[in-house]
Amino acid sequence: MMLPAALFLAIFVGWPLVQFVSNSFFDISPIAGGPRTFIGFDNYVAAFQSADFWSAAWHTVVYTVIVVTLEFVIGLAVALLFSALGDSSRFLRTIFLYPLMIAPIVAGLLWKFLLIDNFGIVNELLKRVGILQSTDQIQWLSDPNIALFSVALPDIWLTTSFITLVLFAGLQNVPGDILEAARIDGARYPTLIFRIVIPLLRPVIAVALIVRGIDAARVFDVILIQTNGGPQGSTETMSLLIYRTLVRFGEPGLASAMGTIYLIVMMAVAIFAVFAIWRPGSDAR
Amino acid sequence: MNGLETRRVSTRILLWIVLIAIVVLYGFPFIYMLLTSLKTPVETIAVPAQVFPSLWTLENYVSALTRDGVLSSFINSVVTAVLSTLISLVLAVPAAYAITRYRTRLGRVFILVALVTRMVPAIVVGAPMIGIFHSLGISDTSLALAIADTTISLPLSIWLMASFFEAVPDELEEAAKIDGASRLGALWRVVIPVTSGGIAVTAIFAFLASWNDFLFALLLTAVRAQTTPIVIANLQTQFGLDWGTMTALAVLYSIPVILLTFVLQRHIVAGLTLGAVKG
Repeated sequence: MMLPAALFLAIFVGWPLVQFVSNSFFDISPIAGGPRTFIGFDNYVAAFQSADFWSAAWHTVVYTVIVVTLEFVIGLAVALLFSALGDSSRFLRTIFLYPLMIAPIVAGLLWKFLLIDNFGIVNELLKRVGILQSTDQIQWLSDPNIALFSVALPDIWLTTSFITLVLFAGLQNVPGDILEAARIDGARYPTLIFRIVIPLLRPVIAVALIVRGIDAARVFDVILIQTNGGPQGSTETMSLLIYRTLVRFGEPGLASAMGTIYLIVMMAVAIFAVFAIWRPGSDAR
Repeated sequence: MNGLETRRVSTRILLWIVLIAIVVLYGFPFIYMLLTSLKTPVETIAVPAQVFPSLWTLENYVSALTRDGVLSSFINSVVTAVLSTLISLVLAVPAAYAITRYRTRLGRVFILVALVTRMVPAIVVGAPMIGIFHSLGISDTSLALAIADTTISLPLSIWLMASFFEAVPDELEEAAKIDGASRLGALWRVVIPVTSGGIAVTAIFAFLASWNDFLFALLLTAVRAQTTPIVIANLQTQFGLDWGTMTALAVLYSIPVILLTFVLQRHIVAGLTLGAVKG
């Protein structure tokens, strides 16, 4: 009974993947039916020598770290707030769920609109409360120094809820008597959180961070729609670079080599993360 | 009562204020989009920006709905998402059932492989898919896009369904078999009705994956099968900065999922937390 699903994945994921990887060893004309010449590892050499490749790799790492760190800190804080308030916070938990359902493309455009200079509401509100003098003082999406942070905002907005929900569910399973015992021993709230709750939640935290990390490293929609990789390439991540190399520059071979390297690194990091943080089987699961 | 719940009244009031502030801040972008969609087109880009419309109007909605291709893109989005949900369920339910019931090594390997496919960036499989769908003769159709979207949702669907089947006691099926039902009969008449809540959760996530997809739609559709996210994205290049129409269209596209969330919120929370918490 696994056969249909296995066949489906083999045909529509496995086979494209094989094609993609094999393309990376060819010099391919972008015209359909054009010539293919086997060139061995030349595409890989070209990829490693390309400055765009290294900067896109760096942007992907920075972006992922920004997204995962902020989501984890905010997500854990909100989950603890929900826990502290107990069942009466149910209604607010529901509201918190909504951004998860919104299309990334919509979120990206929405934040572009919020952050835009002059008529964007974010700078206008910051000006009203006296933080900014004028509404074009912070150019969120057109200043190359901060753009990579700004494009991450819709992603953080969309999926912090996921971390919150997962951690909140995990917090419900923390045995009350352990916390009670620690309180009687005189543990204060921060000690309780950092010494007992977080270590107990480690498997849950690991899964949440790995899932979000993988998604953040694949980011495409929200950046394409906000800055299309600009200004001056400061927000170009790996998915965008591969897309641009493939579609605009018409170099399927080079794009495939970049994608293959990216895939291998992603898998290595994910496997490392699973074993390093999660340690399946070694902890109480 | 949870061990982390605080009981002091003053602390509770303070925490409520903090939490409400966070939720308001969190909800603001969407509320502001809704308010903007009800402004006049001129006011959407007025300086300084105002939170509330000075004149409430549906003008943006009229222009969004009468724009060429918008209605057909909505139909395409619905057709694609429904098709993808069906394909995902039809494939995931038997696979997950086999994995949990026969508990073979192959099953465990399969679920791992399915999870690994989650890591593959859409751009990597999307590009070769263009050629595959072309040779199947289904380029630029909702079916092709639905198949592509299913590659995103299928691993998660199998994972979710396996967790739900795991919770069904074996005795239930044994009883059905003693009553003369075949293995398939037991699955169909006993196990599936018991796990209908789980199937609903799985269906929601498959639907959302397809409804919110952008990259596959960008690569695999041209005109005929174009979905609404593509139309929304095109608004910005074709007509400069038509923010009024964009916000109206974005609100319209979000309404179905917001309603879905409202009706099925309990199931959604269950689905989101299930895989992760159980480890």
